[in-house]
Amino acid sequence: MNSSESYQVNLEFFQGPLDLLLFLIRKRKIDINDIPIAAITKEYLAYLDQKEKINLNREAEFLYIASLLIYIKSQVLLPREKCEEEKDERRILVDRLQQHQMIKAASALLKQREAEELKKWKRRTLPFISLCQETDLDEISLFDLAQSFLLVMKRKEKEKWQLIEGQEYSLEDKMKEIISILKENGYMDFYDYFYQQSCLEEAFISFFGLLELIKNKLVLAIQESLFRSIKVWLRHKPVFKRK
Amino acid sequence: MKKQLREIIESLIFVSLEPLTLNKIKAVLAEYSEDEINKALAELRENYASNERGIQIIQTGGGYIFATKPEYDQWIARLFKEEKKNRLSSAALETLSIVAYHQPVTSAEISYLRGVDSSHTLKVLLEKKLVRIVGRKKGPGRPLIYRTTSKFLTHFGLNSLNELPSQQEISKILEEE
Repeated sequence: MNSSESYQVNLEFFQGPLDLLLFLIRKRKIDINDIPIAAITKEYLAYLDQKEKINLNREAEFLYIASLLIYIKSQVLLPREKCEEEKDERRILVDRLQQHQMIKAASALLKQREAEELKKWKRRTLPFISLCQETDLDEISLFDLAQSFLLVMKRKEKEKWQLIEGQEYSLEDKMKEIISILKENGYMDFYDYFYQQSCLEEAFISFFGLLELIKNKLVLAIQESLFRSIKVWLRHKPVFKRK
Repeated sequence: MKKQLREIIESLIFVSLEPLTLNKIKAVLAEYSEDEINKALAELRENYASNERGIQIIQTGGGYIFATKPEYDQWIARLFKEEKKNRLSSAALETLSIVAYHQPVTSAEISYLRGVDSSHTLKVLLEKKLVRIVGRKKGPGRPLIYRTTSKFLTHFGLNSLNELPSQQEISKILEEE
């Protein structure tokens, strides 16, 4: 409990080991190309020592950089005929640090832009009629649909599936069923519909049927916002209502 | 006639939830010349930019959209009872800048550049539709590759990736530190 709490605090401070390294380098006001490996490693390890317990899962990255630092230092100390390898490792680390520095600066700039942008409010919803346009179609991707399908199936998995032998489902029937539901109700709730399916096979065929209908531009699948249910609508040519 | 064109464009932008691109405006107003449209659009924007309006037409995400003026932010926040803005976390911002500058990019490449595992952050950005999967990289494991979306541009008020902070701007920040 304690260790994870202290990690949280540190994590807010440092976005990972590269961040910590950069902080230590900046604190000493030294050139990134000319890091005193021994001194920095000592400080870096001192930071890791502050933690009572090391959570390997979450801090493996910190330990990896620590071992890399020690490795680089050991290569310097050991007499060798060729010391190109050491230079390479060091070079790679310096490159990574420089890249990281640039990313941090870029994200600081983006953060400013975001703050400016958030002050300009835009409308978030429009009457449904405008959603029927082609442009909004990519709002929901195959990945979203597949993920939602998986979610419903997982939920359903907890219950027992009934195996009805001999029952066959056809793609065409399922597509017709979806269309008739849409004609009757105007729309169909993705979750509700798949939750009602009696077995996995039926669910799969229905899902393929739905994908086929979307592909043939007969229906629209729209998710109004994140985590909201997906609604399926019958597609017709966009009509612009006069107010 | 000219005056009317301005109002037509105004109404087109009004009914758009996503930034309306110039190409779309042109397609709708095929009977007008490009110059006429550009001129009317400029007049319209100027009109809204005047001090007597709470809203303006901004150019973002490669198109035009209505937005409030920043100086009225606090009252709108009051209306929606929003005390804190829904800003991206620093992990999300870092990951996004990597995707923006290095795209197309894989999850492993992002994690390497950040020095921390970024798969979770990437998933959050995917759900927020700020990044998208564009396919798989050829090679071992065929990892998914990511790009930024048009929603990313709009979120930061950019019209294209060319408007991302430049190398000079980044270097300037680094020198200041």
